[in-house]
Formats: sequence, C-alpha cells, structure tokens
Amino acid sequence: MEEILKVDGLTKSFKQPKKLFKKAEGPHNVTAVDNLSFIAFKGEIFGLLGPNGAGKTTTLRMLATLIKPDSGNAFVDGKSIVSDEDAVRRKIGFLTSELKLEDAFTPDYLFDFFSGLYGIEKSVVQSRKFSLFQKFGIDAFKYQKYGNLSTGMKQKVALVVSIAHDPDFIIFDEPTNGLDVLTARVVTDFLQELRADGKTIILSTHIFSLVEKLCDRVGIIIGGKLAAIDTLANLTKDKSLEDTFFDLYEGVTGEKI
Amino acid sequence: MKNVLLIIKKEFNRFFKDKRMVLMIFLPGVLIFCLYTLIGTVMENVSPTIPDDYMPSAYFYRLPDDFNDMSDLFKPQEYDSLEDAKSAVTSGDLDIVVEFPADFMDKYGSITPPDVKIYYNSSNETSFAGYSLATAVLSYLNAFTINSSADTFDLVDADEQATSILAMLIPMLMFSLLASSCISVAPEAIAGEKERGTMATMLITPVKRIEIVLGKIISLSCYAILSGLVSFLGVILALPKLSGGLVNLGAFSYGAGTYFMLFGLIISIVLLMISAFSVLSTLAKSVKEASAYIGPLMLVIILLGMASMFFTNPSVGLYAIPFIGSGIAMSAVLSMTASVVGVLLAILANLVLAALMVVLMGFMFKKENIMLKK
Ligand SMILES: Nc1ncnc2c1ncn2[C@@H]1O[C@H](COP(=O)(O)OP(=O)(O)OP(=O)(O)O)[C@@H](O)[C@H]1O
Ligand SMILES: [Mg+2]
Repeated sequence: MEEILKVDGLTKSFKQPKKLFKKAEGPHNVTAVDNLSFIAFKGEIFGLLGPNGAGKTTTLRMLATLIKPDSGNAFVDGKSIVSDEDAVRRKIGFLTSELKLEDAFTPDYLFDFFSGLYGIEKSVVQSRKFSLFQKFGIDAFKYQKYGNLSTGMKQKVALVVSIAHDPDFIIFDEPTNGLDVLTARVVTDFLQELRADGKTIILSTHIFSLVEKLCDRVGIIIGGKLAAIDTLANLTKDKSLEDTFFDLYEGVTGEKI
Repeated sequence: MKNVLLIIKKEFNRFFKDKRMVLMIFLPGVLIFCLYTLIGTVMENVSPTIPDDYMPSAYFYRLPDDFNDMSDLFKPQEYDSLEDAKSAVTSGDLDIVVEFPADFMDKYGSITPPDVKIYYNSSNETSFAGYSLATAVLSYLNAFTINSSADTFDLVDADEQATSILAMLIPMLMFSLLASSCISVAPEAIAGEKERGTMATMLITPVKRIEIVLGKIISLSCYAILSGLVSFLGVILALPKLSGGLVNLGAFSYGAGTYFMLFGLIISIVLLMISAFSVLSTLAKSVKEASAYIGPLMLVIILLGMASMFFTNPSVGLYAIPFIGSGIAMSAVLSMTASVVGVLLAILANLVLAALMVVLMGFMFKKENIMLKK
C-alpha cells in the first residue's frame, strides 16, 4: 500500500483569551492536538473519530494548511504542510463548516471562480461543473444566489466547490453534519465513489455509524492524543466500535461512563 | 497576476450586483452638486458679480512697444513706481500689475525665454478676471513664460485671504468624500469576508496571499476612485454656479494640466486611504470592529486635510507629509499656484506609503492569528 499522508508529531495549542482566566486557575494554553502521528494510505477512507473537543478539526485545519502546527510536521504526497504549503494546497480539497462561500454569488459563478484560482483550463472547468452539478442536483438552482439556498443545498455547493480542482486528497470535517438522510446519503455515496476512483479521503466525525459505513482505517483521538489506530475490521473484531471507544476513553481519562 | 485579475473581477461583480453599493457611487456626487448649487445661489444674491462689459484696470511696467495692443483690453493706469502699483492691487484700487523684464525683447523666443510677472489679488473678483484675461492673452504667444519664478504673485492681504477659503475647503471636502467612499467598501470587503468565513475559503487555495491583497486593494480603489470622481464631477459642475457667488475659483480657466494633476492626486490619495483602511480591516475581526478602528483615522485624515489650509507658503518638503501634503497640493492646484515638483512629491509619497501598507498586509495575510481570529 502506498503511503500518501504521513503525520509526524503534530502539536498545536491555543492561547485562551486572558479575560477568561482572570480568576480561574490553570494553564492559559489549551493543547488541542498533542504529538499526533499517523499514516494514511492511498485510496482509503481514513476516519478520525473522537468526542467533542478532541482536536479533530484542529488536526484537519493543520493538514489543510489553514493553521500552522507549533511543532511536528505532516507530508501530503511528500509535500510538507509547514514548508511547502502551496504544493499541499494544490493537492488537497478541504471541506469544513468554517469555510464559507459568498452569499452574493451563484453556485455557477462560485465554481468558476474557485476553479480559476487553481488555474484550471476553462473547458475542463465547464465539463467538470456539468457532471458534478448534475450528480448533486445543483443544476436546478445553479443561478440562484448562494445566500438564498437552504442548508443542504449550500452544503452540496460547498462540497462541489471544494473538489472543483479534482484533488487526489480530500479532507472532510464532519461531512454529514446538518444534512437530512437523503443528502447525507448522496454525500456518503459520493465519498465511496471517490475512493473507487483512487482518491484518498480523511474525514473526521463523532458518529460511529458513519465510520462503520465508510472507513477503511480509523484513528481514535481523545484529548488531542491518538488513543488507537487500526483497520475498522480489527477495531470491531471483538466488540462493537462503540464499546471499543468507551473502553479507550475510560483508559485515557479515567472516567467511567 | 492572473489570480489578481480574477479577484478584482470577483470584487467588481460583488459591487455592481449590490444596488446599495452602486447607489453609493453616485450619492455623494449628487449631494455635493445640490449643496454647492444651493450655496452658490444664495451667495449670488448677497455678493455683486462682475458686469459683462467690465474692463479690468492694469498697470503695465516696461510694456514693450510690440505689446501696446494689449492695453486696449485693459484700463491702463499710471503709478509712480512698481511698488505703488502693487500696493494698489493689495488695497483693491488696481486689478493687476503686469511686469515685463528689462531684457524681454532680447530673450523673446529664445531657449531661455523671458518671464512675465502678473500680480493679482485673489480676494478681489475683478482682479481675478484681469489676471485670467492677461494670462490668456499672453500665453497665446507661447514665446515666454508667465509667473514661473518663485515670487508671490497673489498680493492678497492676509486678512482678506479668508475669501479664498473655498480653494482651501475643497481639499477637506474631497478628503471627506473620498474617505467616505473608501469606508463604505474596505471594512466590508476585508473584515466582512473574515467575519463571514469566506476569506478562509480563499486562503486554502494556492493563491498567493499578496495576490489576494493586491486584488482587494486595486478593486476597492477603483470603486472609491469612481465614487470620488463622481463627487468631483459634482464639484466641477456646481462651480460655475458657486463662483457666481463666491469669488476666485470660477475665474480660473483650468487647463488639462490642472485636471491631470488633480486626477493623479485623487488616485494616489484613494490608494493610500484604501490601503490604510484595509490594514485596519485586516486587523479587525468584524465589520463593526473595523469601522470602529477606521472612524478615528478618518477624522485624523480630514483634520490633516483641514490643517493643510494653514500652510500658505509651503516648502516643498511639506508636500511629502501624508494627507497634509496632498491637501496643500490640491488647493495649490486649484488656485493654480502649484509647483509641479510639489504635486509629484505628494503623489509619490502617497504611493510609496500605500505600497508599504500592501507589503505589510501581505505579511498579515500569512498570520493565522490575524486572519482566523474569532
Ligand atoms: N481558534 C481556537 N482558539 C482557541 N481554542 C481553540 C481554537 N480552536 C480549537 N480550540 C480548542 O481546541 C480544542 C480542540 O478543538 P477542535 O475544534 O479541534 O475539536 P473537535 O475534535 O473538532 O471537536 P468537535 O467534535 O466538537 O468539532 C478545544 O478545546 C477547543 O476549545
Ligand atoms: Mg470539529
């Protein structure tokens, strides 16, 4: 199996606003991701599973070069997220609720604009737009203002725009969050399709069923640290994924659930 | 470079799809036109205007014989000395003094052309009319220069200078107009994009940060310049009406050079304002915060524009001071007393400062704690 992502000791902490800590005790820094290392292989769906605040989004933001790690590094197809950001940006597509599209524009325009920023040829843009818009049923509202679309419609457009440049490496933060079952199904089907096309997908979620349905390999992340990493088959061999997770959680935090 | 264009196009798309923003281009200009016309109409009724058949009085010093015809256009006056004539201009008894150099005929049409000096009084309406007439008649010949030395030709009494306040008010007015069109776009386009999370979407593409900055600055400046020019047009169109009531400005016949210098000044001022406001908008988390930062700066800018009024005899170095220099340059251009070097210096200073801010923003755009601040 070809190694396409190598995460090597990623660490990131955030300063908390001073105001909050005037009276409170304790550290002024929150270590969101703590010396995280793992590897993902080409053509697989790798899931980062963890509870709220585990550091999933922070990890993905670092991989997508939106923020820089305090220490450690990660390599996407051999390119460093620290020193070779532009090359990484060309290789990846990143979808997270933090990234928004401008309300004033139509899906049609947004697709063209972002494809343009990646320097994609016009004819390629048009044919890709045609097939993606058709697949996601965006055609019906492609000339409406993005701001006037429903949450699900927006999510579809954001998804399509994030992969406008046909990246080989796709990073999805909570891909089905806020979607109804129909739209969620369209998205999960599409992720499987992308995998079939040989793309690599890293996704984060706290939904066990999504992991069970999609992922080839899973990293369980608790308190910013990797608690376990294995294939889905191995993790669910003896007990359900949920039980595996709770056992790990107890082991790491000492809390009984 | 291609990405800069893409971003500029996107910004234009946003501006012109938004009715409110299109309206903002025209509103200040229309308002200023109405306001000026109103002031002009009111002033017309309180101050006398020059009759059409008015013949300005003039004292010709060393008038060459070949130029005798010129005195037909004026009421020639006699004085004991050049100095007496000049003080008559200051006191308002005489409209203009035209002084030819002693070696006028020797140098006439040569490589070092002679310089004719025309003294006038900017607080006196008829003196202005005389000055324009003499300038127009003499410059027709093109064989010598007029008022090219560093002397003071405006013999206005310091107290009476108040009447030429309009020429000085214009910089302040232009500053406020330009600043208000800049403030209507910069926070929205930068802090607004940060606040709404659309900036981050652009930041994960391989676009160079400086390309985003340039795209923003250029498109915002175009918008502000457009709006500034509409305002300026409002001023120009209202001038004839205004000058009917208030003296001075209308008496000038502005040439292409004047408009060119004004245009250069306006563009450089807008670039500087937009870059300064953009730096603050980059620092701010939200449009609201950006406006709170920019408000005081805008006040300072307008005050600096006002301060420029008080430099009646500015040294060239003053032109390089941001906003004060541009203000001085603008009123000097409008009262046709500008030195080209000074105006160019003011423009250059604005452009250099704007460029520095663009570079600064390029760095700021790379900082996650600035760009992704919540
Ligand atoms: N920009 C930030 N400033 C300060 N603290 C932050 C910032 N981003 C994340 N954190 C903190 O880092 C920790 C991890 O956050 P992160 O968003 O990565 O969690 P997550 O695993 O994505 O959680 P969720 O499932 O709720 O989305 C949290 O304690 C959070 O408060
Ligand atoms: Mg998250």
